[in-house]
Amino acid sequence: MAIVQKSSNSLAEEANKPTRNPLRWVLLLPALLVIAVTVIYPLLSSFVTSFREWRLIYSPRPGGFVGLENYVRAFSDAGFLNSLQVSALYVLLSVSLSLMLGLAIALLLSKPTRLNIFVRALLIFPFAVAPILKGFSWRFMLNPEYGVYAQMIGAVIPPLKDYLWLGNEFSALLSIAMSEVWGWAPLFALMFIGALGSIPSELTEAARVDGATGWQIFWKITLPLLAPVIYIVALLKIISSLKMFDQVVIMTGGGPGDSTQTLYYYVYQIAFRNLDMGYASAVSWILVLVMGLFAFLYVRTLLGGRH
Amino acid sequence: MQNPALRKRLGQGAEVLATLAVIFFVLFPLAWIALASLKNEVDVYSTRLFFQPTLDNFRAIFSHPVNLGPKVWVSALVSFTTVAIAIPLAAAAAYVISRHRFRGRDLVFVAILATQFVPAVVVAIPFFALFRSAGLIDTPWALVIVYLSFTLPYAIWMLRGFFDALPVEIEEAAYIDGCNELQTLRYVTVPLVMPGILVSAVFAFISAWNEFFFALILTRSDSVTLPVGIQTITGVRGPMWEQLAAGGMIVMVPILVMSLFIRRYFVQGITVGALK
Repeated sequence: MAIVQKSSNSLAEEANKPTRNPLRWVLLLPALLVIAVTVIYPLLSSFVTSFREWRLIYSPRPGGFVGLENYVRAFSDAGFLNSLQVSALYVLLSVSLSLMLGLAIALLLSKPTRLNIFVRALLIFPFAVAPILKGFSWRFMLNPEYGVYAQMIGAVIPPLKDYLWLGNEFSALLSIAMSEVWGWAPLFALMFIGALGSIPSELTEAARVDGATGWQIFWKITLPLLAPVIYIVALLKIISSLKMFDQVVIMTGGGPGDSTQTLYYYVYQIAFRNLDMGYASAVSWILVLVMGLFAFLYVRTLLGGRH
Repeated sequence: MQNPALRKRLGQGAEVLATLAVIFFVLFPLAWIALASLKNEVDVYSTRLFFQPTLDNFRAIFSHPVNLGPKVWVSALVSFTTVAIAIPLAAAAAYVISRHRFRGRDLVFVAILATQFVPAVVVAIPFFALFRSAGLIDTPWALVIVYLSFTLPYAIWMLRGFFDALPVEIEEAAYIDGCNELQTLRYVTVPLVMPGILVSAVFAFISAWNEFFFALILTRSDSVTLPVGIQTITGVRGPMWEQLAAGGMIVMVPILVMSLFIRRYFVQGITVGALK
């Protein structure tokens, strides 16, 4: 990854002179101050709130401390437990589909022919599209009456004709996942193409001469060599999938039933529909801890070379 | 299949077909939005490629009741203000982290990276209560404040990479020629790292422009942004798809044009969490 670069030290030594110190803090402090106000303060504030009772409908000020009650409540709350399950399934679906599709696209476009280079240039577009538009376009195209995708699937697999993609529990979550996979898989493909380019061709040539089939080369050589990149992008996608919110609002509103209420969507409901800020803070801190674990692994891997 | 030449040709044919399928997969949802925005309320439900294109939808969304005009303005104001604050601050901080060596530097950097992964919902809860008491709900400033929470950390991370990639020898030459650090920064370092600053600015703009979650919570009517605005384009029978697509074009086209300019840095930007 190009992000991990060696830092340069010779100037740094020189810059360590005390005379340069004031400038350093003048340049560094404004950013740190803004981060402290916009991230650290709310993070700590909601941590404190997570131990308090605070219903915003009754009072603009937080109420008394209730110890661990909000956290205990979460683990007996069917809605929360359901959202944990939905988020876990969603992460599994969207990560595995993005990886498989991304890998397939990368292998297909790995040879630098003119057509392939043209198609690679198109791969960034879906990711840049606003999530709400991803949601709206997929919702339309999966409509069994007039949606092109629903009709194409119906033509290939007749039993799925007239299938309500967003009206059934599993397929609704799958549809949300697909609207995200549409953005991520092409981007993964770009990352994999970069990594494939660094695999020496002698390696695969030699295997071919020894009589290995394309399938064997893929499983025994290509995939193991891609493993580090796959690990990094999978972590990135897990972190992003835990934040799934926009398309839930646009495509399903959490339904049918509560089958697409992701953890993120559930916290939104408690905090900004029920205005139960104490409980919402506790649940959001559970989310912080889960995401923190993956973020830790991600940052550690990316910075691995330096620290 | 006995004939190796035939087999090879079949393989190539399959490859071309698969490549066409990839093009279809990538472009079709974009093409749908573009085509639907030009269709009338009947054609939008048909899959015909040939239809009488109309600009009525664009006229409709800029008049009553959708009134997208003010929302475009708020989105632009909030996105540009966020960029104008975040990028200079981030560049200054990234420069120090890249070029200076001081105790706690790595700790500061890792702490900044960690804030990149704080979920928006945690930031939203205290700010929602705070903005409510301060009367800042439904103002652009509330959005700018919370948008800094996700643009600034990533921009520092990304810009540090750009500063690190710059050979220090050039700056050292400026010092030898008698420049002080501020002069070197202004006349040598910043101009050289300008492409990186612009790339980071574009990423910050895209993430602010596309943002939905904070805008949904913190706005009511006056400061509704484009993404929140277009989801209200509904009639009695659900979304009015043709107008929604026209609104979608206004959200999407500037972003697609911008992403062309940062094409080479796209993967790098996503890796540091520039867009989510």
